[in-house]
Amino acid sequence: MVLFQKPFSSGKTITKHQWIKIFKHAVAGCIISLLWFFGLTLCGPLRTLLLFEHSDIVVISLLSVLFTSSGGGPAKTRGAAFFIIAVICLLLFDNDDLMAKMAEHPEGHHDSALTHMLYTAIAFLGVADHKSKVESWFSLIMPFATVIFFVMILDFYVDSICSVKMEVSKCARYGSFPIFISALLFGNFWTHPITDQLRAMNKAAHQESTEHVLSGGVVVSAIFFILSANILSSPSKRGQKGTLIGYSPEGTPLYNFMGDAFQHSSQSIPRFIKESLKQILEESDSRQIFYFLCLNLLFTFVELFYGVLTNSLGLISDGFHMLFDCSALVMGLFAALMSRWKATRIFSYGYGRIEILSGFINGLFLIVIAFFVFMESVARLIDPPELDTHMLTPVSVGGLIVNLIGICAFSHAHSHAHGASQGSCHSSDHSHSHHMHGHSDHGHGHSHGSAGGGMNANMRGVFLHVLADTLGSIGVIVSTILIEQFGWFIADPLCSLFIAILIFLSVVPLIKDACQVLLLRLPPEYEKELHIALEKIQKIEGLISYRDPHFWRHSASIVAGTIHIQVTSDVLEQRIVQQVTGILKDAGVNNLTIQVEKEAYFQHMSGLSTGFHDVLAMTKQMESMKYCKDGTYIM
Amino acid sequence: GTIHLFRKPQRSFFGKLLREFRLVAADRRSWKILLFGVINLICTGFLLMWCSSTNSIALTAYTYLTIFDLFSLMTCLISYWVTMRKPSPVYSFGFERLEVLAVFASTVLAQLGALFILKESAERFLEQPEIHTGRLLVGTFVALSFNLFTMLSIRNKPFFYVSSANGYSFCLFFLSLCGIIPGLSSIFLPRMNPFVLIDLAGAFALCITYMLIEINNYFAVDTASAIAIALMTFGTMYPMSVYSGKVLLQTTPPHVIGQLDKLIREVSTLDGVLEVRNEHFWTLGFGSLAGSVHVRIRRDANEQMVLAHVTNRLYTLVSTLTVQIFKDDWIRPALLSGPVAANVLNFSDHHVIPMPLLKGADDLNPVTSTPAKPSSPPPEFSFNTPGKNVNPVILLNTQTRPYGFGLNHGHTPYSNILNQGLGVPGIGATQGLRTGFTNIPSRYGTNNRIGQPRP
Repeated sequence: MVLFQKPFSSGKTITKHQWIKIFKHAVAGCIISLLWFFGLTLCGPLRTLLLFEHSDIVVISLLSVLFTSSGGGPAKTRGAAFFIIAVICLLLFDNDDLMAKMAEHPEGHHDSALTHMLYTAIAFLGVADHKSKVESWFSLIMPFATVIFFVMILDFYVDSICSVKMEVSKCARYGSFPIFISALLFGNFWTHPITDQLRAMNKAAHQESTEHVLSGGVVVSAIFFILSANILSSPSKRGQKGTLIGYSPEGTPLYNFMGDAFQHSSQSIPRFIKESLKQILEESDSRQIFYFLCLNLLFTFVELFYGVLTNSLGLISDGFHMLFDCSALVMGLFAALMSRWKATRIFSYGYGRIEILSGFINGLFLIVIAFFVFMESVARLIDPPELDTHMLTPVSVGGLIVNLIGICAFSHAHSHAHGASQGSCHSSDHSHSHHMHGHSDHGHGHSHGSAGGGMNANMRGVFLHVLADTLGSIGVIVSTILIEQFGWFIADPLCSLFIAILIFLSVVPLIKDACQVLLLRLPPEYEKELHIALEKIQKIEGLISYRDPHFWRHSASIVAGTIHIQVTSDVLEQRIVQQVTGILKDAGVNNLTIQVEKEAYFQHMSGLSTGFHDVLAMTKQMESMKYCKDGTYIM
Repeated sequence: GTIHLFRKPQRSFFGKLLREFRLVAADRRSWKILLFGVINLICTGFLLMWCSSTNSIALTAYTYLTIFDLFSLMTCLISYWVTMRKPSPVYSFGFERLEVLAVFASTVLAQLGALFILKESAERFLEQPEIHTGRLLVGTFVALSFNLFTMLSIRNKPFFYVSSANGYSFCLFFLSLCGIIPGLSSIFLPRMNPFVLIDLAGAFALCITYMLIEINNYFAVDTASAIAIALMTFGTMYPMSVYSGKVLLQTTPPHVIGQLDKLIREVSTLDGVLEVRNEHFWTLGFGSLAGSVHVRIRRDANEQMVLAHVTNRLYTLVSTLTVQIFKDDWIRPALLSGPVAANVLNFSDHHVIPMPLLKGADDLNPVTSTPAKPSSPPPEFSFNTPGKNVNPVILLNTQTRPYGFGLNHGHTPYSNILNQGLGVPGIGATQGLRTGFTNIPSRYGTNNRIGQPRP
């Protein structure tokens, strides 16, 4: 290799100053190499590689994060945290020494639970641990030589290509991937039985080194090392995510940096969690949902844990079902959180409409649930299965209690927030009692609910979800009682059929309302007032007519409207705007755009649409007009 | 009594539905969709039966794709219906959004179904039930052939639009990532229908399931392929539901923001315009943009002129537009009520008002932006053409008649020209013409900065 590259004959001559530098570098390199060998003898190639093969940039940024307070933002801190976790993983969870012990007595006693866990992990990885035997030198040297040869040459060339072609930080970033992954692969290969066989072909003596086998801890730490190297070596400047908006007169491109790109570039996870928690707890809606979600999750995990402990499948599947339900709550929580975000370029009216969309999705969710319950109960109606009921009652009673708490909380919030939505709560109580007594004219109660029509579709959706869960628990209790008392196994599917229909009917008004808002309907509760307002507008002095009156509810707090108004030429536009705005504001529209048109507008428009050359002429004329407005030109 | 009250709105609702249905059914194209819908229902029924008989959750997941097909057929019908319906006074924007809502609802339903499958399969991992392979393969091929037949024979406009607007398909990415067939991405990259892809992939997964169960009795593979199908469903549907959801949320579509910014900058460099604010632009249905904007102008600027120019600029992109012209302190000079001040204020008005009276003198009047050319066709509607002296009477009668309609019509050639050929040179030309603006770059800069932190 040395002959091939001719390092001494080619290249520039080296000055004395550079010789000193080279010497210093050589000393440092020697120390590092010594450390390498030390590491190699102590803990094998894989771990040494993991610990030492970091490029300078990674190390420098790591040190800067650790020892100077201003490392470079939360992303770097995260990277350093990953690095430290990786080292700890390697130190604590790796079983390099323990392996040797275990090799001596494979089924011997284990010191701690940790060792036990690691042992099972190793067994899971399928790494065989045979006893090592004394072997001759020659058989060891052969594979070692080949491996070293390949690794060294490969490493040298790949490294040189990388450093030539790419910049340093990129090199550090992507270099860590192949190094660690290949190290892992080699490590696996080295300890794998196949290597054994290869060596056995070489020489008959069966030997295996159990010293430095792969373990779960090493894999985890390698993954963490890769992550940290990736984060630490990523360039610290913000991503240049802008949109090209045009070219300046000099020809240089102009970029528009979006606010969103800045916001989401890097944000510390703990800080994000803290801030969103604070936001959640600020407002009553999201606070209610959050507390209930916590309660629900707690119940779910208790159920799951107990189910695992007692090995009861029913409990575990019920726990999964609860998790499934929690997803709706999580969505409601997110919607309640997002709806308070500030308006951006893209969301020009603000995020309030998300609540309506979330309510709609929640409604669809409930419909899906109702559909599945319906299908299941129809299938069971045809073929009612035997089921043991002794486990059902405590679980369903627990669920019922949790959900009843939720209903109380949400209905409380409901009536506080909007007096109008009182009806929907009443209707739910209605349907409850009806359900309990087995009556079937629940439709009456629901028509009340839709009339009440609360503004906040999100909360309504969550409330209905909790209600559906409650109905489910009640159904389970009722059917359990019926089965235990009378042995009617058909009661279970009948109950669930009934519940499915109830859920469906209770969701319909929510979906209908949300659809109307999403389709930009004239808000029904303002219909009359707006009609009167338009009549009033008609009577304004100087007004000829109006066209394209659009009024729609954007979100719970915003009712938007646009209208075009034609006036006679002799009135002041701004006065008309003021009057119309006053009238429509009284009618409840709070985001208003009024276009006042006179005859001149239509003349201009008809002229403007004749063609491009006329536009040019017009522009010239506009200039001349500007000129005349300055007062120098008088017609 | 109560039953009657309860039933009455229901019947009217169904009656309405029937009427709309007849409206749609009058179209020949919808017959095909209806036929497919009926076949789909039968098919789905059989598949659901087979699902319960085989006890295979992977087949159930695949059946949900068939149900999704039913939804997409319904969406197609709705989009036909939407084209026929005119805006009603209550739904003043028309029913275009119903199409978007249908796409959103069906994709969300498909995802919820996939979520349900995930939950079920999580339960099945704990206790794997036995799968009967009897009808598994039959069901797979029935569903696959039907799905492919539907997808390829019916041109589903809304879904096609959404999937092409999204630009990438998760399935494609997934497949090329796995490198199952290396050349696949190059063959299918020109926008393959993601639904066809997901159908094929699902059928493939089911075939593998069948083979493994037949050969090894390895039942867990059923659950695994169910999870795979559910994840693929998520990957395909999620971008679409996000896209249509953003339309429903009245957001400005990101791909027009650049154009809009350019137009707004142009508007803000118009003579007399001080500021553009409260701009709300959002998509009405798939494609058509609606918007409203407030423009603050100088006190002495001509409102109607600015309005016309702003509208003209923005009409190229925004079809349903409302512009509110806004003046600071407009009342102050009027309160002074001096003859000079009044003159200044009404300067432009004085010139505009007599215009209709001047017969054919439009081209002589330099204040008008538009010298009416004798060669150009007369505008379809304008105030002074139909009869100059009977203006008010006509206007009162035409209250319901949409002015904008005629204007739009006469307007299109111009907008087309500006859109196609003159995008860049147009700006250059206007900039070059405005010799008054000697400091164009700095103006650009300030506008940019003003425009950026839009709350």
